[in-house]
Amino acid sequence: MSEAMERPKNVLIVGVGGQGVIMVSKVLAQLSLNHGHDVKQSEVHGMAKRGGGVFSHVRFGPEVWSPTIAEGEADVVVALEWAEGLRWINYLNPETGTFIADCQRIVPPFACRNRFRGGEAAYAPETPEEIMEQVHAGYVLDATGMAERLGNLRAANTVLLGALSTALDFPEDDWLEVIGHFVPPNTIDINIAGFREGREWALAGNKRVAENAAGLHQSHVVIHQDRVTTTVEITEEWCKGCDICVKLCPERCLRLNDRLVAELALPDLCTGCRMCEWLCPDFAIAITNTPVREAAE
Amino acid sequence: MKDVTQTPDFDINGYIRLDQMPHFLCPGCGHGIALRALLWAIHDLGIEKDKLAVVSGIGCSGRLSAYIDANTFHTTHGRPLAFATGLALARPDLHVVVITGDGDSLAIGGNHLIHACRRNLNLTCMMLNNEIYGMTGGQVSPTTSADRFTTTTPAGNTEPGFDACRLAEAAGASFVGREVTLQVLALKDLLQRALEHDGFSFVEVISDCTEIYGRKNDLGASPEMMMSQKASMRPDAYRNTVDVPFRPNALATGILAKVDRPEYGQALRAANARQQPAGKG
Amino acid sequence: MTRTMNMQGNQACALGAIEAGCRFFAGYPITPSSEVAEQMAAQLPKVGGTFIQMEDEIASMGAVIGASMGGLKAMTATSGPGFSLKQENIGYASGAEIPCVIVNVMRGGPSTGMPTRPSQGDIMQSRWGTHGDHPIIVLAPASVAEAYHETIRAFDLSERLRVPVIVLIDEVIGHLVETVDPGEAGQEHVARTFASGPAEGFKPYAITDDLVPPFPRPGDGYRSHTTGLTHSETGFPTQNPALAAAALNRITDKLVLHNDLIERWRVREADDADILIAAIGISARAAEAAVTKLRAEGIMAGLFRPVTLWPFPEGALLGVIDKAGAKALLVPEMNQGQMIREVERLVAGRLPVHGLNRIDGEAITPADIIARVREIAP
Repeated sequence: MSEAMERPKNVLIVGVGGQGVIMVSKVLAQLSLNHGHDVKQSEVHGMAKRGGGVFSHVRFGPEVWSPTIAEGEADVVVALEWAEGLRWINYLNPETGTFIADCQRIVPPFACRNRFRGGEAAYAPETPEEIMEQVHAGYVLDATGMAERLGNLRAANTVLLGALSTALDFPEDDWLEVIGHFVPPNTIDINIAGFREGREWALAGNKRVAENAAGLHQSHVVIHQDRVTTTVEITEEWCKGCDICVKLCPERCLRLNDRLVAELALPDLCTGCRMCEWLCPDFAIAITNTPVREAAE
Repeated sequence: MKDVTQTPDFDINGYIRLDQMPHFLCPGCGHGIALRALLWAIHDLGIEKDKLAVVSGIGCSGRLSAYIDANTFHTTHGRPLAFATGLALARPDLHVVVITGDGDSLAIGGNHLIHACRRNLNLTCMMLNNEIYGMTGGQVSPTTSADRFTTTTPAGNTEPGFDACRLAEAAGASFVGREVTLQVLALKDLLQRALEHDGFSFVEVISDCTEIYGRKNDLGASPEMMMSQKASMRPDAYRNTVDVPFRPNALATGILAKVDRPEYGQALRAANARQQPAGKG
Repeated sequence: MTRTMNMQGNQACALGAIEAGCRFFAGYPITPSSEVAEQMAAQLPKVGGTFIQMEDEIASMGAVIGASMGGLKAMTATSGPGFSLKQENIGYASGAEIPCVIVNVMRGGPSTGMPTRPSQGDIMQSRWGTHGDHPIIVLAPASVAEAYHETIRAFDLSERLRVPVIVLIDEVIGHLVETVDPGEAGQEHVARTFASGPAEGFKPYAITDDLVPPFPRPGDGYRSHTTGLTHSETGFPTQNPALAAAALNRITDKLVLHNDLIERWRVREADDADILIAAIGISARAAEAAVTKLRAEGIMAGLFRPVTLWPFPEGALLGVIDKAGAKALLVPEMNQGQMIREVERLVAGRLPVHGLNRIDGEAITPADIIARVREIAP
């Protein structure tokens, strides 16, 4: 066996708490085990509440010693969230590494401290195209969007597994078999479909970037009614996309945009009742009702 | 049709620490709504922020104090009522509010809760009940409903939960109330009455832990959890209506107990004055 | 008119506290410290203070910290098992830098042990009882008069340095009646430095040259946050390694910086001692008698007594040993060997260190010490 083949494969999986980083790494670890590899998986988890970032190092090969991957030595970085991917990109092997990322943005609370209402968003400014120029190989896909279209947002991680499968030497059927063991039985079909979509996306071309428009969000909407002028102000940086305002608005005039941030979709229906403001657990919505002065008076 | 211009006006930005925002709670956590209701009630009562002291314990609820623009104290697990007792006795000029959770106040801090109820010191205790230890990852709490799955009840919860309001009332709390987060105006009103009350006031807020408890028990997302919470409660004012026999398990909301009895701080200061040497006090 | 009076050790702690300006006491009954609470219940109202008996030991420690957060000088008293229960909140006071005084009247252990019998089993618990690295000061008076004055000093140090101070007294001293001269009436004692100046940009845990930040009193307009989580200068929790290290180092470094205020020890016949006895509290008093008798026999014994037990007066002990050219050390203590570990660590094998231990519920007598010294005399 050659020296190169002796070297373990290093896969770093990163994301935000609750996305399924651990599930992805368990699938990969089990698959490697099934193929007779020595496997080490080191993770930090339970961080959904404590600052957001979750990572998992998976190393496999004939013999693995160190439980973690050194900087610049990851063969693949899989990011379930865009900024988390950028946070770890220095772990990617600059010569041979593959960077696979969901373009979904989840702004972790601790990453955006000191952002006042209307303050400048400090979220990673680099565009996916810029990043793709810097790496040896990679894909930026809208895994969450794909999964949502398949009927389950939570299948986003299997979409990414599909993309990951193109960077490693395991047969597709073996991947699907292991995935079947780790996802809830009633979601197996969706997850298989998600895996295939992700795989096809990656096979279609290196450095492919999803063409997602990101600018649909309007944070400041003014509605003129008969007797009041209502201003709906949504602080994008504070919204966590919990859906409460969307589902509990009596007029159903709000929605979550493609980045899972609330926005006023149907301003004509808004009555300025303030229910969304009161029920927003993140204080992200502010409604101002100003009485209209009659021109005649 | 209701005149929207008449809805009460409250700008929460004046009562939170903007440099700490956004807060660390999970998406859809009801604690944020309860915090808004509390600050709204404080605003409507005209309590000065400099004279407001908020004492909290450990857990998701405990972290709320850090976001309030007031004198805030994030204390040890289960002990905020003990700390608050010392603070309120030392500084009768302060409005002392305690924010606690179901595990914080009913498990590790259960003893402090019953004695605070008995003592009747002028404190307002807002207990956020989400039926789970969320911060530690979702373990069973003293209010977890029967058969619910948590990380420490993998086969379903076999312990009965506390009815915190009945516990507080039985222990002697002179003001007891309960509300769900969905009824945010009623919750704000309840908290306002609790803050005004002279003596120990206990308010249980039914909050939702969507990320952990909801997910583990398939209770839906936050809006669904909030709706089902509201559906399992009914205002105490309706207790004599005809459908009561058909809903034996509905919990009462609103003000559940309110009695006038001597406030501990005043009683203690009066007793102390009697011990002072003649001519001095 | 002389203010000299006879009082019990526990009473001395209570009266010393009131003299120092203590205006809040929360306690829970426990033998052998209950008299401290009883005295405070009787005396505090007379000076406009507040006494409360809480529902348990943990609550009384919490209430004391709460009152101190409000700006009052506050104290509690307890004994072994209660002291164990208070430890978590003592750690909070240490980390969040809330001044408070804890009187621990030591009794036999472990567990319920011998509640009415003396022991010095809390020497280590008083230093390392709560988890994590933390600053703490422990004073160990050896007489009723010293209990009175050291309690005053406990408040002075606690308020000056924003650190919990423990008054560690022996059951036999707590229940001993002796004559105390409280000194002149109307003495000035240390007052806490409260924050003043602009609230804008105020940092409640700012790292200053003094290493002790001024205390933001509720109602003074600072509206600061106090937490047991490791916090940065702003008072808000941090996990930034540099900020966390700076904050944690500051709270321990402040005791090193102000060691002159903290350190206190007493010696007797130590200048030319061949055998130096290091002991605290009632064991030190037995040693004093032993030293006198041994000297009469021609054995050159001397005594080193830490009054401030923690931080241990390291430099002082080593200085005394060097000056006397001592050939052996004896550490008599009512436990299986706690202070001896610290002494052994300090002398680092330069001279033999012997122990004398009793854990039978009886105090160490001068005869015990004399016999042991004769055994080890060079």
